[in-house]
Amino acid sequence: MPVAFSRDILQGLLVEEAMRRQVLRAPHDASLGNCVNQLIKFKANSLLIGDETGCPVGVISKTDIVGAFYAGLPVVETLSRDVMNGPPLTCFPDDELGVALDRMRKNGVHQLFVQGAEPCAVVGTLSYGDVVALLYRYCRACPKGAAGRSEAAGIEDRTRFLTVKEAMRTCVISCGPEEALAGVIEKLTANRLGAVLIEDGKGLPVGVISKTDIILAYHHGAGLEVEARSLMKSPAVTCDENSLLTDAIRQMFLKDVQRLFAYGADPSHIVGVLSLADFAQIRSGSCRACMASRMIGSP
Amino acid sequence: MYARDIMSPGFHTLSPSNTIAEAVSQFHVASLEEGKKIFGLMVIDENDRLVGMISIYDILLFVQPKHIHVWSEIEDLEAQALFGELLDRVKSVQVSDIMTTNVVTVKPQTHVMVIADLMIKRHIRRVPVVEGTNLVGIVYISDLFNHLLQKFM
Repeated sequence: MPVAFSRDILQGLLVEEAMRRQVLRAPHDASLGNCVNQLIKFKANSLLIGDETGCPVGVISKTDIVGAFYAGLPVVETLSRDVMNGPPLTCFPDDELGVALDRMRKNGVHQLFVQGAEPCAVVGTLSYGDVVALLYRYCRACPKGAAGRSEAAGIEDRTRFLTVKEAMRTCVISCGPEEALAGVIEKLTANRLGAVLIEDGKGLPVGVISKTDIILAYHHGAGLEVEARSLMKSPAVTCDENSLLTDAIRQMFLKDVQRLFAYGADPSHIVGVLSLADFAQIRSGSCRACMASRMIGSP
Repeated sequence: MYARDIMSPGFHTLSPSNTIAEAVSQFHVASLEEGKKIFGLMVIDENDRLVGMISIYDILLFVQPKHIHVWSEIEDLEAQALFGELLDRVKSVQVSDIMTTNVVTVKPQTHVMVIADLMIKRHIRRVPVVEGTNLVGIVYISDLFNHLLQKFM
């Protein structure tokens, strides 16, 4: 009986090629305020929490802190050990990237900690953004890809390349500018999102609220009753759904955002959202040749 | 020679609720008024207690894009416009969001050689001088260096 196998562009690539060597840590008795400070300062999604000996015992993510905010826990008095999740989800430097991505998807996390040789040694982190950065660099180096060509040089045959439309999600969750922060958090949590689009009464996009904005508000002492309009980042970063995927990825890196909202024929109407996680999970470069090389066959 | 002999008793400070834009402005004012480049400022609360420190390194670290290694491979960048957009997005961030809260301090009677050792081992360039709960001064590595040179050379 033949054994099926799948092949994609990540085949043969290891975690150590994409991972970050910086690991952000906090003690288990650190206040949530200190944790927010670290997450904001280093633009991280989660912190590794260690016990008295420094051995990792858990993880605290932006999602956990948003949950603490929603539950009404005080930001200064609450300790990381009261909110953290554990144990940390890990991978090894010599794991295949595809295996690590599977682990992230199955567990619904955006970051894995990279385990060293010793039991308590954590030598790095791997996030969706790190995987996309590696893919993007490969795309730029590829003579057939669009990523290495400047827009000025032009791309003669756009049909060879993937567009935002082919990778984006078409389900866009939005809130009104006057919606209370508590309602925004409920939508984020119910839909397992990192950010929500803010649309005015006419359905026009006016801004975005991400988990980063919410933990900043928590740190600044805001209440759950404040309106979305007072916290949102405006304008929302958008792109045309027909623009090349590689241009969208480049835009996300350059503007330091984790998602782009895509519009269709009418630029004022948002029809989808593309995140770094979505792009990482398609496990392909940005041209059709790469996508077509993903195949299922027998060894 | 002790901390009290070489510390600067006059210093500029920030509040935790100052924005990053206000902090940048205060760095400029402090440098002008103190007659030397100031790269780090102490952060005090409403009771004048030291709650943190912020350096220009902290601010640069924060404003630089997360995937900076990808930027380094892109030659055709309009860096000025892009940085302008990034800076615009951090206006709502406050000093308390990115300051260092675990601050190393010394007492007025701490010996300068102990301070030099601290600065070398902890890679720090300025140390607040605290007496009880009162902030009384700051020792800059440049002042320490100059005093030691004058003393021993």
